[in-house]
Amino acid sequence: MDWIFLTELAINGALTGLLYSLVAIGLVLIYKASSVPNLAQGGLTMLGAYVVLALSRDAGMPLWLAIPLAAVIMFGMGFGIERVALRRLAGRPVVMILMMTLGIDIFLIGTTLAIWGGTSSSMNLGISYEPLLMGDIFISRIHLVGAGVALSLFAAFMLFFRTRTGIKLRAIADDYMASWSVGISVERGVGLSWALASLVAVGAGVIWGEIQGVDQSLSILLLKGLTVAVLGGLDSILGAVIAGVIIGIIENVGAEFLDQFVGGGSRELIVAAVLILTVMIRPHGLFGRHDIERV
Amino acid sequence: MPMQEKVEAQSILSMNSVEVLYDNVMLAIKGVSVQVPKGKMIALLGSNGAGKSTTLKAISGLLKAERGRISRGEIKFNGTDITEVLAQKRVGMGICHVVEGRHVFEHLTPDENLTAAAPLGMSRSVLNVEKEKIYNYFPRLAERRNSQSGYLSGGEQQMLAIGRALVTQPSLLMLDEPSLGLAPFLVSEIFDILQKINQEEGVSVLLVEQNALAALEIVSEGYLIENGRVVMHGTAEELKSNSDIQEFYLGGGEGTDFHNVKHYSRRKRWLS
Ligand SMILES: Nc1ncnc2c1ncn2[C@@H]1O[C@H](COP(=O)(O)OP(=O)(O)O)[C@@H](O)[C@H]1O
Ligand SMILES: [Mg+2]
Repeated sequence: MDWIFLTELAINGALTGLLYSLVAIGLVLIYKASSVPNLAQGGLTMLGAYVVLALSRDAGMPLWLAIPLAAVIMFGMGFGIERVALRRLAGRPVVMILMMTLGIDIFLIGTTLAIWGGTSSSMNLGISYEPLLMGDIFISRIHLVGAGVALSLFAAFMLFFRTRTGIKLRAIADDYMASWSVGISVERGVGLSWALASLVAVGAGVIWGEIQGVDQSLSILLLKGLTVAVLGGLDSILGAVIAGVIIGIIENVGAEFLDQFVGGGSRELIVAAVLILTVMIRPHGLFGRHDIERV
Repeated sequence: MPMQEKVEAQSILSMNSVEVLYDNVMLAIKGVSVQVPKGKMIALLGSNGAGKSTTLKAISGLLKAERGRISRGEIKFNGTDITEVLAQKRVGMGICHVVEGRHVFEHLTPDENLTAAAPLGMSRSVLNVEKEKIYNYFPRLAERRNSQSGYLSGGEQQMLAIGRALVTQPSLLMLDEPSLGLAPFLVSEIFDILQKINQEEGVSVLLVEQNALAALEIVSEGYLIENGRVVMHGTAEELKSNSDIQEFYLGGGEGTDFHNVKHYSRRKRWLS
């Protein structure tokens, strides 16, 4: 076995995994506030990419302006989604909210198809496709940038959840009734979690849009993001980051060995196996909180 | 009625003939009137299902979280009609409701529980002063301020729920069965602290209790609620010497009347 090759597979796998974490972090943010896996996170990622594209390619803005502006727009959009689609469902069974997020996902796919059509466009970030040579190992530059974005967002959220607003958001995740009783606006908190998840979706959309082109297939990232989030524990941002790295490595290294036997498609099988095994063996994931039980 | 106006003027809270409907059909309280004089401690007594919690939720606005609404009557706080005011606004006005069942934020530390309740406009230094004051009232909490709240004992969680309410700087503090499931020495510890808070901070207190014996020791007046109606109102002394109250709520009576059976089965559940 060639160790250098194996290391290269592992490192690039870890970087790709962190890009899955970008999607998973958005899922975790909303799960924390509403106890619902947001099935629209893939759609939001796709929308984030389209909004950047609309501002940069269609409106002619430079990327350094288009990306932050898209972030602001999507942030507001997140609040809007809560206000229009979710507030009326407060207190309803969780499965209704889940179905609503699925509806939002389908709606976003349909809307982007109607506005921008289905042909793939490129993001044109201007990052070289020439791999970076570190020692004897080739590393993809865009993946490196994306991993940096994921880790920065992770650090930012760790800090945010220690601020007063962040603590109030965690309080909402714990107990709606108690939150209301001390004057915390649960509705605004849930809105904020959607806004933050939509903000993260811009980061994920830009990176993934650069890697695989901007079209509706970006929404399928939900499946990878969801798998990572479930392995990480659904309500743990740290879990989403670590699970992303783990899944990325297993997927990249595993596929290299398995593909010769099953002839391609082993990536999907590996991810499916991780999801199924997690749910069977460790349903609250690596870092998910157990519900505290006392007598 | 000039007499009633006078009572209202001295009341921080004045609730008049309030009816509450859940799900638009279930009439839970049927014309409850309660006055809380400024700076006083008042008890709402009554057996399980009488409508005590519903009365508190009507005052705090938390009814909405359970698809309940006030279908008749009005609630005045410091003379202002708050019947239509949002729950979170009422907290800002000075009403705080410690809900039944010790709802602490389990995955937060006690210190973070207190921070979570701080109004966004409260400066960090004011918050720290408030926290120290609360830790002074509840030294047990100070010791465990950085552990996970879900692992606190029942008594500590109740103290935390009360402390967390104090961070909102209420002028009317409402507590729903704070003694539920706690050992008698803890109940008296918590009730002593409530009395101290009432005296030192001038906070008016509306206390819901099934433990009438303990409650009547610290309040000045009490209301007895049964089947969604106030059936008795008097000073703590009057209530303590009332024969019905003695029989049904203070454990003085004998026999197998309905209330006692109900209380007994409930008490057994706490212990199991
Ligand atoms: N969320 C609710 N939905 C429907 N009915 C309720 C609800 N909460 C309480 N009730 C009913 O209202 C009545 C009064 O309940 P409650 O106020 O909780 O009584 P207490 O606090 O005195 O035990 C009971 O008959 C109870 O079943
Ligand atoms: Mg009750």
